[in-house]
Amino acid sequence: MSTFAVPPGRWSRRAFLAASGGLSVALLADGAIEVASASEAPPATHALNAWITIDRDDIVTVKSGSAEMGQGVLTSLPLIVAEEMDADWSRVRVEMVTHDAKTYGNPKIFGMLYTAGSTSIEAYFDTLRRAGAAARRVLIYSAARHWGVAPSQLESSSGSIVHHPSGRKLRFGEIAVLRAVSSVPAITDADLKPRSAYRLIGTNVERADVPPKTRGEQQYTIDMRLPGMLHAAVLRAPVEGEAPTAIDAVAAKAIPGVVDIVRLPEGVAIVAERCEAALAGKAALKVEWSQASELRSADSEQDLQADVATAKDLNRRGAAWRERGAALAEISRAERVVTREYATNYVYHAQLEPLAAVASVGADGKSAEIWIGTQAPSVALGVATQVLQTTPEKIRVHLLQMGGGFGRRTMFTRELLRDALIVSRQVRRPVKLLWTREEDVRNGWFRPATAQLLRASLSTDGNVEAWHHRIACPSVAGYYSAENLARANNRDLFVMEGAELSEYGVPHLLAEHVITTRRARIAAWRGIGAGHNAFAVEAFMDELAAEAKADPVEFRRRHLAGNVRALAVLDRVVAMSQFGEAPEGRAHGLSLAPYKASMAAGVAEISVDRTSGVVRVHRFWAAVDPGLAVHPRNIIAQVEGAIVWGLSGALKERITIKQGEVQQSNLHEYTFMRLRDVPEIRVEIVPSSAPPSGVGELGVPMTGAAVANAFFALTGKRLRHMPFDAERVRNALDAPGNHQS
Amino acid sequence: MLTLNVNGSTRHVDADGDTALLWVLREHLGLTGTKYGCGIAMCGACTVHVDGVPKRACITPASSVVGKQITTIEGLAPAGDHPLQKAWIAEQVPQCGYCQSGQIMQAAALLQHVKQPTREQIVRHMDGNLCRCGTYQGIVRAIERAAKEVAT
Repeated sequence: MSTFAVPPGRWSRRAFLAASGGLSVALLADGAIEVASASEAPPATHALNAWITIDRDDIVTVKSGSAEMGQGVLTSLPLIVAEEMDADWSRVRVEMVTHDAKTYGNPKIFGMLYTAGSTSIEAYFDTLRRAGAAARRVLIYSAARHWGVAPSQLESSSGSIVHHPSGRKLRFGEIAVLRAVSSVPAITDADLKPRSAYRLIGTNVERADVPPKTRGEQQYTIDMRLPGMLHAAVLRAPVEGEAPTAIDAVAAKAIPGVVDIVRLPEGVAIVAERCEAALAGKAALKVEWSQASELRSADSEQDLQADVATAKDLNRRGAAWRERGAALAEISRAERVVTREYATNYVYHAQLEPLAAVASVGADGKSAEIWIGTQAPSVALGVATQVLQTTPEKIRVHLLQMGGGFGRRTMFTRELLRDALIVSRQVRRPVKLLWTREEDVRNGWFRPATAQLLRASLSTDGNVEAWHHRIACPSVAGYYSAENLARANNRDLFVMEGAELSEYGVPHLLAEHVITTRRARIAAWRGIGAGHNAFAVEAFMDELAAEAKADPVEFRRRHLAGNVRALAVLDRVVAMSQFGEAPEGRAHGLSLAPYKASMAAGVAEISVDRTSGVVRVHRFWAAVDPGLAVHPRNIIAQVEGAIVWGLSGALKERITIKQGEVQQSNLHEYTFMRLRDVPEIRVEIVPSSAPPSGVGELGVPMTGAAVANAFFALTGKRLRHMPFDAERVRNALDAPGNHQS
Repeated sequence: MLTLNVNGSTRHVDADGDTALLWVLREHLGLTGTKYGCGIAMCGACTVHVDGVPKRACITPASSVVGKQITTIEGLAPAGDHPLQKAWIAEQVPQCGYCQSGQIMQAAALLQHVKQPTREQIVRHMDGNLCRCGTYQGIVRAIERAAKEVAT
């Protein structure tokens, strides 16, 4: 039961129900169903547990525990409810929740309101279809009582309940205003629709957020305008760990419209009546910074070299992520061991909406309204209560859609929202705090650079017997929370996901994380660990196939014995691409890369300009198995987009750090894929009987290795360091052979 | 005080002439469909039309567009039913949606001058508009669809 209390004087579920004459259905943890209606309003805590509200106008409003950042979750989640409920899809609305993680939290992410890791569909599918089935049952029982017939005589049909023997029919909205039945039998598995009965799931319904997004009407945090709102721009310390020691604000304050200068823990805010005055004030501000940070010595190239040495130092054991059999012993006594090194650099999210937060702190300094687009409403709420030393019910969160998330909008709220609250509290007005693109790049939370060592023993018949994958890099989980990392025995999902080798039947396996010292702000990036790990794993598989003198498809197939889903996507993408039959001057590369429970394989067709070193991807094919395909067109769009993302990271993207300072400042220095670079992409969904699983990141992991393997097929040389920029490509072409050790 | 013609209306704005048109549109006039992405004309999210020509509002001083016709995404078609907007819906292009106003404004300028653009012309014309969600294929499909529908 929720303990959430409604802030007095704002709104309450009871008042809302009374006003709309609606019906609210709550599915309790034990499977029982609670119903609230306008005429017999229950305690507020019951109604607040509801996933579904129906009003007299037939509008069905579904709560979404997930936040929208473009992944389509505000369509796919209510679609699940509408399916089981038999709702009229045109009358279904969705509402992102901001409070009550206990009810709405993501079971895949510690029960927090937190949207990440492509978890939404997997996390909420079962809950939402049961909620939908429960709502349908309440409607049927209510209609049955109204007509005086047995519930078993009634059926649901697209927004109505019908009694076929008498031809009577009531719309959901008409039932919603009846006195509701407050107790109905709990939903069991047998009450859920079989897939063959689906009429919404698996269809290409249109996304409700598309039309406003074509008219400039979708509101993001950065678009918020409130009466009396001030604008704050922030100048942040050039190096993490430094703080302002002296602020010369004379010139900044002389700019008309600048109203205040606020010292922040890691920077200075310039507050103005207008956005342009805040930005001009920022430019005019002179700040001296402390010189104490250990991170002043951070140097991305040297730091990566240190991690490479660590990865190679087999005496330094890491935290085991996956272990089966006795990989180390097998490798030490094997006759034939192949060893390779791979590396990746820091990469930045570059979500197109720069970071912004709007805060309006109450006169008491202990309450606030905040407007923010975040993947982590629970973190935002936690930050706000901490900064204001208050309790959650004093914070009203307005959750906005995000102009891209990709992992950038998870823990960032700790700094950004904190500063917006500090400034609003000081100036006693609502404040929109903006990080310019320059601040966002320089203060980015990057996917960590990784140094990876892969070793495998091959049997005489060319099969992988033992596999040892070492990843040396700092811990993202430890940066988020040292306590949580310790509690998880140093198992860091953000770094290690994608190193499970779950698809291949290798008898002996050790994947370990050698945790090194953090030298930059680090975070999850679309694809999480699989972004860098699947590159190394699948590039290495390709190298092993070559060492075993095997065809790359056949080599993978024989290690996939019995893995029906992996074989299906592999065979499909081989057929789609006519693998190995690239036009003259081009070559194909294959990569098999699952992401969590979803399976995927990709083929890249590339050419290389041997003079400039530029690799061009001409075509890319992907076959994916996301389990039950809830919203196929969106799945394809997500995978397409993630392939663009992955290829962009594989070919172009790189953050460098010198003397603790990020060397890139804006999108002219941090470049990502433009239209002219984009290959022709074809994605197919392979039919699957598995439960639905995530797709937002599924296209990313396959990309790097597909390109690297195509490069080998074309040139006989290997690319082992992402991104494959022109210099690295030229160096690879000049290298004597493809053997590394 | 500046006087601008925005979406067919005369608007008086209390801003300095060197203020970027982007902030005038977004913060003074509330036309937030025009987006800030980089501030240095590298992403195209702020694309508007000035006398029918696509311009990056983030590097366009407001004083330079006095006396000219400024069109934003809100004014592209009164009912939001420009052939490109319809094609964008038919192709379900947007994901996060943040870049899409700029994409549509950039594409609209192309179709004004080239009724049946080739794939190559589309790529060249649209190359300055970034999409981080990777909806590029959908954007090209939607432009081709709109061009076809306008022609028939």
